[in-house]
Amino acid sequence: MIETIYIEKKIKDHPRTMSILSKFKKARHIEIDKYGEIFNKHNQNFRIQKKNPALILAYKKEGYVLPAPEGFGIGSSKNYYFSHMYNCIYDCRYCFLQGMYSSANYVVFVNFEDFDAEIEKIIQKHPKDSLTFFSGYDCDSLALEKVTGFAKHIIPFFQKYPNVDVEFRTKSTQIEPFSLIKPMDNLVIAYSLMPDLISKSLDNKTPSILKRINAMSLLASKGWKIGLRFDPLIHGKDWKDLYTKMIIMVFNSIPVSSIHSVSFGPLRFPKQMFKDIFKLYPNEPLFLGPLSQNKGIISYSTEIEQEMTFFCKELTTKYINESQIFKCSA
Amino acid sequence: MVENITKEEKFSIRWVIALKDEAEIIIQQYRMKLLSEKSVFPIFKNSEETHWLILSGIGRHNASAATLYLYEKSKAPKWTAWINIGIAGCGEGHFGDLCLVDKITNNSDRKVSFPSAMKNSPFPRMELLTTDIPIIDYSSKELIDMEACAFYDATSKFSSRELISIVKVISDGPSNNIKNLNRSIISKLITTNISNIIKIVLYYKNLSLDEYKRLKKPDIFYKICNQWHFTVSQQHQLERVLRRIATSNINENILNLLKDCRNSKSVMSILNKQMESYEVDWRNT
Repeated sequence: MIETIYIEKKIKDHPRTMSILSKFKKARHIEIDKYGEIFNKHNQNFRIQKKNPALILAYKKEGYVLPAPEGFGIGSSKNYYFSHMYNCIYDCRYCFLQGMYSSANYVVFVNFEDFDAEIEKIIQKHPKDSLTFFSGYDCDSLALEKVTGFAKHIIPFFQKYPNVDVEFRTKSTQIEPFSLIKPMDNLVIAYSLMPDLISKSLDNKTPSILKRINAMSLLASKGWKIGLRFDPLIHGKDWKDLYTKMIIMVFNSIPVSSIHSVSFGPLRFPKQMFKDIFKLYPNEPLFLGPLSQNKGIISYSTEIEQEMTFFCKELTTKYINESQIFKCSA
Repeated sequence: MVENITKEEKFSIRWVIALKDEAEIIIQQYRMKLLSEKSVFPIFKNSEETHWLILSGIGRHNASAATLYLYEKSKAPKWTAWINIGIAGCGEGHFGDLCLVDKITNNSDRKVSFPSAMKNSPFPRMELLTTDIPIIDYSSKELIDMEACAFYDATSKFSSRELISIVKVISDGPSNNIKNLNRSIISKLITTNISNIIKIVLYYKNLSLDEYKRLKKPDIFYKICNQWHFTVSQQHQLERVLRRIATSNINENILNLLKDCRNSKSVMSILNKQMESYEVDWRNT
């Protein structure tokens, strides 16, 4: 439940602001000049804030679309991401957002049309390249959809560009934006997955793995393309058994023809980010190991990473072509 | 030698209050006693040293100086919750109502700050204007006081905004002339709100305890640091590995494992080895 909404003065009368505010009738509204006044302050306690985050409605001035980090892609020659929101309603212990911002409050940018314009510019600049745009890098792309309506806004935009791919990465079971329109060949709804037992420990406040599989299954039945994102791969006792059961369950629930791509990603934190997250949650089992440091990155050893990726890939190639499998190393 | 912190599980609350009449009931409620007659500002604390209270006097400069003085004098730990409570003028609310502050404007430089008020609280939240002279035109802002922005600025230097609380009780307004305020009325305004204040304290006590549990170093950390010399950087590494061992349920007697170590390097090597091949059993998490 959102108790407090900070609103940048510049967009206080924006129709999207009004629409969002109407969904939180009891929330207290506080006017601010810039979202940074609340979001970027140093004296914030992320852990306490995360229990009860505020919503910040803001105007994004620049950086609507950014090149995706190297190793983040599903086959296109150029990859970009856009984030209409900073932070996430979920609380996954491996998520980089815990160490990314000093605040756990949600920032929602209401000037969606500026995202459209920037994406359009990039598409026109690269007429011959294969392009993929990713939604859900600094947030979950669908988790707050009922409030923001961003997916509903941006999906028709991509209908105009059938040769340009867009991926919505999520753990949400919010499928409404896809239920009212015809499936698009250039749109992938990608679900982050891990064995249920591990997810129960690490994916706080998220829909269960079973619910995510049910959502995928429903979308697939309507003709939408599904991405499977086993990212990050989490080590632990009996991990082979746990991943085998999960992968079999997923492929038994979704027709292979609906699967656009599969990607595997290792668990990795830049050293400083790891320190910050460890400080926030020092008693988390995720950090028990066997983690090591290599070139400023905290991760499982290369042997473990390779073994896990190889094992899961082997299992997956029983169902789909190797050309549909990607490694996410961002 | 590394300074040991208390081993008891302790929350920590610090009060900054302008007037004795505002503080009296709180001093009684939490059984605080005057620390010393000779102090720059009068400081009170309870026997467990969980509550400390300072009487700042009126105005921004006093509030700022008193807050910093209390911070130093009480050696306030990182998990301290800071509370400023006092009376305030108000153009909107009702006489005697208790309010939480979530926006402060400093009238002298127009600087705006955003304290984080208690969550899920039954109390109204309001904006506050801190002025250096009493204002009787109540139309421009919700609450008016003479200390809060200075208290917030000072506490922000050593605490997170989630652990800072500004609580005001409405004492004057368009229909309650400030000239009618006297010591007895001020005292009564706070006293009648004591059950509300207790609720607020309970909220911050729990936050402080959570933070204490997160930040306190394992007891064995101090034992090890007292036995071998660790650099500051090594101390951080030691703390991390000891926390991991504590979470892992490895039932080794750590001090016994380390008994033959000659220096900090060999201590770290043995401890790191404990976790090197540890596999998390997700069934037990």
